[in-house]
This record gives sequence, C-alpha cells and structure tokens, in this order.
Amino acid sequence: MVEYTSTEMMAVCGAHAVKDGERVFAGTGLPVLGAMLAKVTHAPNAIIIYEGGNVDTQNKDLALSVADSRLGYRAAASIGLIETLGFLMMGGKVDVGFLGAAQIDEFGNINTSYIGDFDAPKVRLPGSGGGNDIASSAGRIILMFTHDARKFVKKLDYLTSPGHLSGPGSREKLGLIGGGPSLVVTDKCQMDFDPDSKRIRLKSVHPGVTVDWVKENVMFDLSIGKDVPITAEPTKHELEKLRGLDPQGIYLAKGQK
Amino acid sequence: MIEPTVEDKRITLEEAVKKVHDGAHIAWGGFGYQRPPEAFAMELIRQKKRNLRIYTCGSEHDLDILTGAEVCLEYEVAFFAIEALGLAPNLRRRIKEGKVKFEDYSNLAMALRFLGGALNVPFMPIRHMIGSDMLEKTQLRKDKAKVIDCPFTGNPVVLLPSVQADFGVICAQKADMQGNVQLYGIKGEDNEIVRGSKTTIVCAEEIISNEEIRRAPDLTAIPGLYVDYVVEVPFGSWPMQVYGLYDYDLPHLQMYMQMCKTEEGWQEYMNEWILDVGNHKGLLKKIGAKRLKELRADPEFGY
Repeated sequence: MVEYTSTEMMAVCGAHAVKDGERVFAGTGLPVLGAMLAKVTHAPNAIIIYEGGNVDTQNKDLALSVADSRLGYRAAASIGLIETLGFLMMGGKVDVGFLGAAQIDEFGNINTSYIGDFDAPKVRLPGSGGGNDIASSAGRIILMFTHDARKFVKKLDYLTSPGHLSGPGSREKLGLIGGGPSLVVTDKCQMDFDPDSKRIRLKSVHPGVTVDWVKENVMFDLSIGKDVPITAEPTKHELEKLRGLDPQGIYLAKGQK
Repeated sequence: MIEPTVEDKRITLEEAVKKVHDGAHIAWGGFGYQRPPEAFAMELIRQKKRNLRIYTCGSEHDLDILTGAEVCLEYEVAFFAIEALGLAPNLRRRIKEGKVKFEDYSNLAMALRFLGGALNVPFMPIRHMIGSDMLEKTQLRKDKAKVIDCPFTGNPVVLLPSVQADFGVICAQKADMQGNVQLYGIKGEDNEIVRGSKTTIVCAEEIISNEEIRRAPDLTAIPGLYVDYVVEVPFGSWPMQVYGLYDYDLPHLQMYMQMCKTEEGWQEYMNEWILDVGNHKGLLKKIGAKRLKELRADPEFGY
C-alpha cells in the first residue's frame, strides 16, 4: 500500500481535474502543484498561466508568489496583468482556474476578503487579488482548501468571487462568461455541483473519511447521493512525480499522514 | 548637425521622496514579490510622511511596513498579504485598531483603472466584479463602481473610475538618465501606472547610457517622455526580488513575520532595519556584501 499525506491527496485530486491541452490558471500553493503534476503525468500539453504575466510556464523550482521570478524560467512569455487577466481571462480563453477560499456557500460563492462584519472585521483576508477575475471568466473553477466546518457556511460574511450566485441562470443574467465552480477538493472529500440546481453535493470521500463526518462538517444541508464513492488513492507514480516537484516540502510538508 | 540637449532626470532617493506631499495619492508599482518599491517605502517612513493613499493591484511587505509606520492607512487595492507566508501582520493590527480603510477591487479592475488613467478617459468597463460585494461595500469612495446597461447591447456592465494618481512609483532593472526604461520579466501593471500618473518616479537598479537604450529600442518598455524623475537604487526591492538581478531574502521575510506578531516587535524591526540605518546605503551595509552576493541571480535562471 502506498503512503501519502492529506495534502498530497489534495494535489493529486487537483491534477486529475485538469485535462490534456487545457489552459490552466493557477495561484500559488497547492493549486500550482496540482496543475504542475497534471502536466508531468496525464496532461503534458496543459498550458499554465500565472496572473503576474508568465504564460505557458515550465518552471524548475517551486514558486512562492504568482509573480515569482522562478515562473519566468523557460516560460513562453513574460507579459503583464492586462494580458493575463484581461486578454486571456476576460477574453474567454482560459479553460480552468484554481482558487482557494476562506468561506464558500452552497452555490460555491467565495469569500477571500473579510471574516466578521465588513466595517469592523475580525480578520481582513488577502482580498480578491485575481480571484474575482478568475471566478468570473474561467471556463470552470476548481476550489481547493483544507476542510473546516466554518468554511462551509450558509451565508458568506462577504462575497468576493461569484460561484453560481443564487442558482441556475444567475451568472448568465449578469453577463458572466465563465462556467463557475465545478469541483471542490478538500483534505477530506471532493464535492461537485448539481447541474440543475447548481447546489453543491458530495462527490467522493477520501479513504478513511465517513459520509457522516463530512455531513457534520459543513454548515448547510449538503446534498448526498445514495452511494458516495471513495476517492481513488494516488498512485505510486503520481506520488513520485509530485514529491519531485516539491523536494523541499514547501507545500507538501504541511499535510497529515 | 545640431545635437539635442540631454535632460538629466536623476535625483537621489531622499530628493524623490521629499517631493511626495502629505496626503498624496500614489499609484504603486511592482506585483507580489516582483519589483516592489521597497527602498522608496522605507524612505517614506524615514521622512515621516502621513495620510497617503495607495493604489495598486497587490503588494506585500512594502505596504505592510507603510501600514505599520502609519504612513499610509488608505488603500484601493486587490490583494494585501504576504504570499505563502501569511496575512500581513501590521495590517492585521492596524485594522483591529480601526485605523485602516479599504476600497477593494479585483486585480484586473485595478489594472484597467490605471489603463483608463493612462488613456485619459474617465472610466473603464469590466465584465468582472459584478455579483460580488465589492460593488456595494465601500469605505473610501462614493463612486467606487457603477453597473449600467450597455448602451450598445443592453447587457449589464460594470464601470470603474480611472486613476490618475499624484505620483506613480515603479522599480525597473535599467533606465537611462532621460527616463527611458527597460523592464525585464513580468510587467504586472507598471506600464499603465507610469503612463497614467501625474508625476512619475522610476527607481532603477542600474543607470545605463542613452546609447545603450537606442541600440535596442524594442527593449524600452517605457519611453522617457512619461518619466519625470529617475533614481538609481541598487537592491531597491530588497527583501523582495527583481527578475534577472536578485532573489527574495526568505529568511529575512520569515524573521519579519515573526517579529511583527507584536507591536513591540514591529517597532524593533522598524528601528533596526529602517530608521537606525539612516538611508538606503546604510541598509545595504547592514545587510552586508556577503548576503547581497548570495541573493544575486544566476544569469541562467534569473533568480
């Protein structure tokens, strides 16, 4: 049996969500590892773009920042923000975008700005950055974050980036060209969205996690099918490749066995 | 042939910062870890500037020291944190004290606001931000953004007010004394900032000759006619990075995160690394030639 951490499981799930040849917008952290892993396994023709301006990257070392010089090494182009988030993203030329979140609601709307009251917040989070731009216009969105009940809320403290807003048709009504969130990956499970109601539902639980545990660790009624499958474990090959991308454990060292 | 006069726009960092009046609005260059005006920020702190408002997409350690020193407490930005390391510690504290005001936009929104300023049009349309709380929740402006029905298609579209700030400040790898600028690596929103601000200051890592600029005009990202002042500042983005020249100083950033957990720690950091060193030269001396050499980029990789 292969041994892996919960963080490695997340990165591998992220990688599986990328198809060969797709144009992928990645932020730093685990999404980068997911996108890079896809590229060295099943999706060699995926094109990875970073909002700072690096396009079609083949970096050798892992980046800390979306503007990191490491992403410039062997990139096809180093341009600017209006290029990446404007011409490419708002131009409708990006297939998939990875995002994190501090809170999401049952329609996959995202908060990365404030916890607590806007005028006297408990915590000011980083803000949108390019998140709102990506959530608005990427073909589909993959959300990745560690599982915590307080992140799956009935009502967001602040809506930074649009998910499916208030349900079917609401994105289209506002002229948003992107398809919205399609997958949520946590260290406990995967969730997707019902195509008719646009509400979040449990897709699979990671090995060792029960459906009841997930049910208790979201703060809204989660739609759960009759037979929830167990997420496929990472293969030995995937883990080898993944660890090779982060030999110093910058991101991978964080997870639990 | 009559020779044209060569204007020398070079001034010192101290002189450049002196031009910034209290209450000035500054469009702030650099993106994330890349080419932020760190030396400029530190000199703003030394000269005890107050009540600035900064416009930028995303900045990190540079804005956090300005917030800690209470030089700038008003921000129109998209992103404020220290990527990969955590939330900005001084910002966190000043927000708890109720001192900081924000106007949140997305990254593309800020870049388009600078482009609008550069084009001298009053607003720019965007298809993003719609449906989010960024449109309604405001702290600084009444005119943050407006949603209209497009006069051509009838579909909803967001309008953003353009930015023409009092000052535009960016860092660059190379410039000549006339302000012709070569930018290497990613550009972020710097090209738009320089073209849209009322007074533009370029901090250049290296001053090159006008001859070198004219030998490769296609490398000029910003023609000198947009630039008012050029300041030679080697390691002007330390402890962050400049593509092709030097890498970020990660142990220093980690130390910063640790120290700034408390107000006392921040005050200690500010005294030790910003005030007591006296000026940028003093800072470089404190970092030490050995460490600076270690941070120098490998030309094959650019970091």
